[in-house]
Amino acid sequence: MAVCIAVIAKENYPLYIRSVPTENELKFHYTVHTSLDVVDEKISAMGKALVDQRELYLGLLYPTEDYKVYGYVTNSRVKFVMVVDSSNTALRDNEIRSMFRKLHNSYTDIMCNPFYNPGDRIHSRAFDSMVNSMMMQVC
Amino acid sequence: MLLGQVAVILTPPFHPAHAGEPYKPHLELFVLTYGALVAQLCKDYEKDEDVNTFLDRMGYGIGVRLIDDFLARSAVKKCRSYSETADMIAQVAFKMYLGVTPSVSCSNTAGNEFSLILDKNPLVDFVEELPAERASLCYCNLLCGVIRGALEMVQLAAEVTFLQDRLKGDAVTEIGITFLRKAEDRKHKRNK
Repeated sequence: MAVCIAVIAKENYPLYIRSVPTENELKFHYTVHTSLDVVDEKISAMGKALVDQRELYLGLLYPTEDYKVYGYVTNSRVKFVMVVDSSNTALRDNEIRSMFRKLHNSYTDIMCNPFYNPGDRIHSRAFDSMVNSMMMQVC
Repeated sequence: MLLGQVAVILTPPFHPAHAGEPYKPHLELFVLTYGALVAQLCKDYEKDEDVNTFLDRMGYGIGVRLIDDFLARSAVKKCRSYSETADMIAQVAFKMYLGVTPSVSCSNTAGNEFSLILDKNPLVDFVEELPAERASLCYCNLLCGVIRGALEMVQLAAEVTFLQDRLKGDAVTEIGITFLRKAEDRKHKRNK
């Protein structure tokens, strides 16, 4: 269960950012912003070998004391960043990968919408409900 | 752009096949092309009615050309009544070109008003909802024009409109076909 999910465009501005404890939203914005440096580093380190599905998933970007940040980049340089609570140790790598795959699928559905212009902020109910299902339920 | 050129571009890409061979449409490409067309029309024209009119006209251009392709592929016999025609459109034509089979129902006792109810409309697969400023856009108005054009080429005048539209919040998508009696038919009979 993620705490914050963000979709970042190729030019490194956010297309969609959503976090569950809404009072501390700014902290998550900063976290995602700083994680972009790590993402860029990983992309340049990988060079040209980005065609394989495994290389799309970047893995753990960096851990902090409260949470871990995972990254995923598509072939069109759109990045998905997921912040996960560190106390939730039950989350395995496979689950994170499948969550990113679901995000990627929903993102391609949005791209196919003829009324969506690439580069706009994402305002889709289907995407929102999919992200909700992945977020942690805070009572 | 000439409407005729648009009509040719928009006809679903198909390999020239002889009548009777199975027809496999490249539907997703067609759906994306149609979406791009509607989005561009929305950018070009401010009023929804204009966009609807142009979609209908384009559909008409496609319909008058598509009817020959349909008749060649399906090799159906002449329809003897309006209800047979409506069934043919729903069960054969829609199935052939869009892969869906709408259900047909007759709306009035005179037997010339029918409605096709579409559960699943592949043209709107990727469109979640109409943008807020386009609330009265008939997204699939092209289909109305296609049906109208095709019927006209077999000497059946009809009015085709959308009665219900899922994109506008209704439960199903319903296309209404009203067959109009042509005055020339009666004249021919008198001359005989």
